[in-house]
Amino acid sequence: MESFVKFTNQSQGRDRIFRATQYACALARYLLRNESSRKALLSKLQRLESNMSSGRKLFRLGNTVNSIDAAKRSIQLSEPALCLCLSVAHASRSLYFICDNVLWAKSIGLIRNIDKEWWNLNATRLYFLSLVMNLIRDVYSISQIMMKMSRDRGYRQKAIQHLNESPDVACAVVPELDAFVYLLLESLKSDPSVALDTVKNLCDLFIPLDRLGIYQTNAGVTGLCGLVSSLLGILSVMKPSLKIKP
Amino acid sequence: MESWVRFNAQSQSKERLCRAVQYTCTLLGYTLQKGGAASNLLTTVKQLESHLSLSRKLLRLGNSAEALEAAKRAVHLSDSVLRLCITVAHLNRAMYFACDNMLWAGKMGLLPRLDQNKWSLRSFRYYLFALILNLARDAYEIRMLMERESRSASLSKGSLSSSPTTLSPLSPENGDLCPSPSTSLPQVTVHVRKQLHLLAFVLRNNPPLLLDLLKNLCDVFIPLDRLGLYPTGNGWVGACGLASSVLSILTILHPWLKLKP
Repeated sequence: MESFVKFTNQSQGRDRIFRATQYACALARYLLRNESSRKALLSKLQRLESNMSSGRKLFRLGNTVNSIDAAKRSIQLSEPALCLCLSVAHASRSLYFICDNVLWAKSIGLIRNIDKEWWNLNATRLYFLSLVMNLIRDVYSISQIMMKMSRDRGYRQKAIQHLNESPDVACAVVPELDAFVYLLLESLKSDPSVALDTVKNLCDLFIPLDRLGIYQTNAGVTGLCGLVSSLLGILSVMKPSLKIKP
Repeated sequence: MESWVRFNAQSQSKERLCRAVQYTCTLLGYTLQKGGAASNLLTTVKQLESHLSLSRKLLRLGNSAEALEAAKRAVHLSDSVLRLCITVAHLNRAMYFACDNMLWAGKMGLLPRLDQNKWSLRSFRYYLFALILNLARDAYEIRMLMERESRSASLSKGSLSSSPTTLSPLSPENGDLCPSPSTSLPQVTVHVRKQLHLLAFVLRNNPPLLLDLLKNLCDVFIPLDRLGLYPTGNGWVGACGLASSVLSILTILHPWLKLKP
């Protein structure tokens, strides 16, 4: 119970749980959409999902400042690629939070005469941009790890051993591809935080892709992707070693 | 900005901020109603207040576990009175949060047959018990500190005085303060004044205790009003709620102001 208390004391921990519940409800609603006998359950899920969503919007009210602070810190990073990716990601995230706050105020009735669709569209675009920058950063980190690993003597011995032992036809026909895939997997295994962050960002990417109409899936896919990324986020909050740095 | 980031990272601080805004809305709604404001402004304020209340219930969903953990820790305190007061107060808080969770589920429609009024009264009763125990703990701490102060003051004055005619407020040898039926009322007044002096001194030197006492005194009016035991009205409830929220935000921003244990 101690660890549960410590986890929920962090605002980010609670937010991840609510997000996971929200997307679980969305997924459940999609799966049960054709069951006419479960109408009461469907309406309960709908209410729970919208309550989680509006509660999370309220709790995110101060996060613009957090993102600006993170952007300021990432400007001071030494590596130029990381500096660029993270600064742009945090800056677009802070703008996303501003749009989110305006949408919250509209939903409460504090602001009345705004174009909700325009603000929604721009919020989704900014979120998409921050996810793309985070993914570029992930790809850069992975490539750095792969380059470092390929120069490591211990790894080279392992790779030669793997290539010689492998009986697959594909390995014999395309040894370069096999070597690349092996290097990629070994790099990801050596730094699980990068792997976790990449999978999380990839899952999250489906949500704005669907909303912006770039790659339309359905509510079930977005629900599942949101749920998976929230669970991975919970994992990274519970085990700080799995959180990508910087 | 650093302090905001640290403040924002704790979910308790967000809940306190929401509470402060919620009670501001209560106070604002009362003032606007008295002042005869437009109905759509009143509706907006009331909508914001109920949204904040429901969202706070959502945010408090895990707090029963926290209160139980705090009660488990309080059982190991050395002082028996403190141990009793704090443990039972935490247990009452855990029950209050459990009732609060039921109310959230009822408002969500997850438990449609829930009697919201009954559970609301139940939760306010547990909250009132917890506050009374907190106030009893504050009174006990104040009493202990006052006794310690008066003992140390009489010891230091006793060691310094050389003649029995030296005026010492707490020494019984002073001839002027010899008890006699014709001078008992002024003596009682002097005694009461001394006690108040001592109380002010103790509270001034212990800001955490003073803050906790003020916070509990402000908070106690809320369940007293909601349970109908001492109805004060939305204005006073809003003002008290806002004051206690601001004081608890202060204890989060300055952890040394938090009363320990």
